[in-house]
Amino acid sequence: MKNLFVTLLFLLTSFLGFGQSVSAPDSKSFLPSTNGQDGSGFSLNGFSSTSTLLASISLINPLSGTTFYLNTTSGLTAASGFTLSGNKTRLVVTGTMADINTALASLKVNTGSIVGNVQLSVAATVNPIGYFYNGVNGHFYKPISTGATYTNARAASLLTTFKGQQGYLVTITSASEDQFIFNNVPQSNIWFALTDEVEEARWTIDAGPEKGTLIKINNGQLNGNIPGQYNNWAGGEPNNSGNEDYAVTKWSGGSQWNDLPNHFSCAYVIEYGTWTNPDDATFTEFYTNSVTHSNGDVLRASFNIDFGSNVDETKFTAKGYTYTNNNWNVVNGTARQLSGLGKVDLTSLLDTARVSNGVRATTTTGGVEWCVIYDYDATNQRYRVGIDSREVNGIVSNPSMISSLQLFDLWNGPVTFNSYDSNGWTEVYIYTSTQFNFSGSSFASNIRSGNGFNALTAEFSFSPILAYKPHGIELTHSNQTELNTLYNSIVTVSDVFLAFKELADGGIFGNQSGMGLTNGIQYMNADVDGNGVFNENDTYKLLQHLTGVQSLSQSTTLTYLMKLYNKSDYDAITTSNWGTKFNSTRNLIPFTLGGLNNTYNINVTWLGDVNLSHSAQQSVSAIGTNSVRSMSLMTNSVSTEINASIVGEINNDKVIITILLDPLQQAVVGTQFQLNYDNTKLKFEKVDFVTNGNPMNYGTNKGTFINIGSLITGGNGVLDKTTEYKIVFTPISPITNILGLTSISTTDAVNKDGKQLKVKLN
Amino acid sequence: MKKIILISLILLVGCTKMEIEPTPPPTTQNIFNVKESRVIDGQDIYFQLPTAGVYTLTLIDKETGQVIGRERFTGKVGENIKKIYTNSIQSQYLYLLLEDVTKTEIGKTTIITK
Repeated sequence: MKNLFVTLLFLLTSFLGFGQSVSAPDSKSFLPSTNGQDGSGFSLNGFSSTSTLLASISLINPLSGTTFYLNTTSGLTAASGFTLSGNKTRLVVTGTMADINTALASLKVNTGSIVGNVQLSVAATVNPIGYFYNGVNGHFYKPISTGATYTNARAASLLTTFKGQQGYLVTITSASEDQFIFNNVPQSNIWFALTDEVEEARWTIDAGPEKGTLIKINNGQLNGNIPGQYNNWAGGEPNNSGNEDYAVTKWSGGSQWNDLPNHFSCAYVIEYGTWTNPDDATFTEFYTNSVTHSNGDVLRASFNIDFGSNVDETKFTAKGYTYTNNNWNVVNGTARQLSGLGKVDLTSLLDTARVSNGVRATTTTGGVEWCVIYDYDATNQRYRVGIDSREVNGIVSNPSMISSLQLFDLWNGPVTFNSYDSNGWTEVYIYTSTQFNFSGSSFASNIRSGNGFNALTAEFSFSPILAYKPHGIELTHSNQTELNTLYNSIVTVSDVFLAFKELADGGIFGNQSGMGLTNGIQYMNADVDGNGVFNENDTYKLLQHLTGVQSLSQSTTLTYLMKLYNKSDYDAITTSNWGTKFNSTRNLIPFTLGGLNNTYNINVTWLGDVNLSHSAQQSVSAIGTNSVRSMSLMTNSVSTEINASIVGEINNDKVIITILLDPLQQAVVGTQFQLNYDNTKLKFEKVDFVTNGNPMNYGTNKGTFINIGSLITGGNGVLDKTTEYKIVFTPISPITNILGLTSISTTDAVNKDGKQLKVKLN
Repeated sequence: MKKIILISLILLVGCTKMEIEPTPPPTTQNIFNVKESRVIDGQDIYFQLPTAGVYTLTLIDKETGQVIGRERFTGKVGENIKKIYTNSIQSQYLYLLLEDVTKTEIGKTTIITK
């Protein structure tokens, strides 16, 4: 029975194609000028095993001489313009998931002599019928064989969408794009978005991301072609013969362009995608991943930033910082946008200069006892080591900078400076839990054991230690208004109720677990004043935040809302140790550059995100009894729905929006609705509440939205079907109707057990 | 002479065609007759109603299926004009649903707001 169930589940999963993704390997270094190096590690996951998939493999901005090839291509078909064999910088293929994965496992990289990044990207989607994918720019193209005038083709293109992208009449901005259309569209004379309708002979791109770009300022095949812009006119064209203001490619079946009048009925192509780098594609149901390897010795820093599952990572950008002169200073360069998987590479935003970071002392055998090691201090687990200052004076300008010591074969590692006496000893501590084996040392003849010390006949030399500056990564949200909305959906009535429930069940001093919070990070986020104790002060502040009396933070900027942790630190937070852990908001987290390839895993959580709805989950292995399973059930899974309805109308010159609640079978104790409104046309007046259960009602104007809801934190009351919120606005100027003037975005509700409920608006 | 001038003037005015600027006809395509439309803030939308009465226009987020707004209004028989506002809407792809007072669907289309 169990096997049957598993088989059925497998078939269902295969059929529906749940959880499609592309996984990428870890970063590595290639040898320069070497062919056939292993570039495997990508794989497609979760697609239907029988579907034909489209996959694009590409090197992003490849270094000269860097290419890849696939050793195995069984079952694959090269997309138009590509061949399966040979060295590539980009290859688009179709095939089943299994065949593509076999090919990806055989991926080999050839490198040139130039040292730098080798970024490999793989994208995959179910191969759409009737569309062609251009692997060079990552756009889709749909040929329309039915003839139309230019202006109709231009208008019709704009009315279409594909994979979440608005269409536009194709633009041709490169020879490869021109060739792509030539290869894929059978018709001749194909309209593309280029016109001189505004001013004769000033040919301007007429659609898409390049709209408005002037590419030519005179008629005639080569006259007035603007350098750097792609032109491909047939001989003698454009010539405006008979007032021709619009361009076609594949003129008369050839590969070049001509100008034609609008009334010609020609085929055309609709283009989808606005980016130039396929790796930046934002198509829906289009899955990408990438890895940045290096060719030779390149200092690299890449980050995997885990926001949990309810935050759009692409809204964030990252910058590099260095810590110098007690300040964080930004490294010049363009901020890097996070990928949809939370990945970002800061290699180009590192300060690669190395600076002095202490002094290293090394020893050779000598004839004078310049060094003494005092007996082991078992209490502090350390040795105190004295170096005769005559060895130091005049050589080390600042003896307190001594931070590393090689002492024969006894010790080779860090030391902590203790004291300096120019007429006596320069002392450092060696912290170790293992005592030295003086008698077993190869240098035993240079060691004399005394009463409470060992003297070493050693000569010292000193050298500066060079290291990269301390670095930091700073995250920024692209839009403050959107960040406000995001944070309003992070700290909701569910978080507040959960905190109250924990406090009520956990004892008056908050020192017992009320079982409302099962995870140390929940406590940290509930401890909104950050004093290491979760108590009634925190719930009071959460309530004030919810009801709009006072925000949790002094500012709405990201640095006052977000918490960043190294994943290992995050995973180590428990219900018993959270009070001793770093618990402040920040959008900059330090990192240390070690070797050449540095990968950092950063976890994100938020002030007040008590139910962790927008936070990274801890790894299972690290949290012991506070398992992800319980955390997940507690927070992110919504198993229960309740209903609400909304209607708006103009009544006596007021705009009235009415929200009605239908809790169905749920004992609802908290609700929250974010009603956005156009504050250039409406002025918020009030909220009228109709509620049973003696709740605390709130209706707070946040400038561009009203936060409305109710919360019952004690007693036996519940919000029933009579619950009604009437939000009243006054039009700033006369209006005749209100469609779209207000809209609901975030909603939330919570039941008596602290379970978050999904509000179905209908 | 004065009379001649006056008569001539009257004749001239009387014979001159009245210059009335032609106003372009409004774009009155029924929004529910097209599969999808791109709209901007404050744009007029047109639709036909079979009878006068109470109707609702509902905006539904295509991705989540959630209703994000609804306007109840009294419509007239034949062509109706409403404005659609987009500044407060955070979704890009929406259904616009027209229903009568019994919740019977009269029309449904997709609108794109950004």
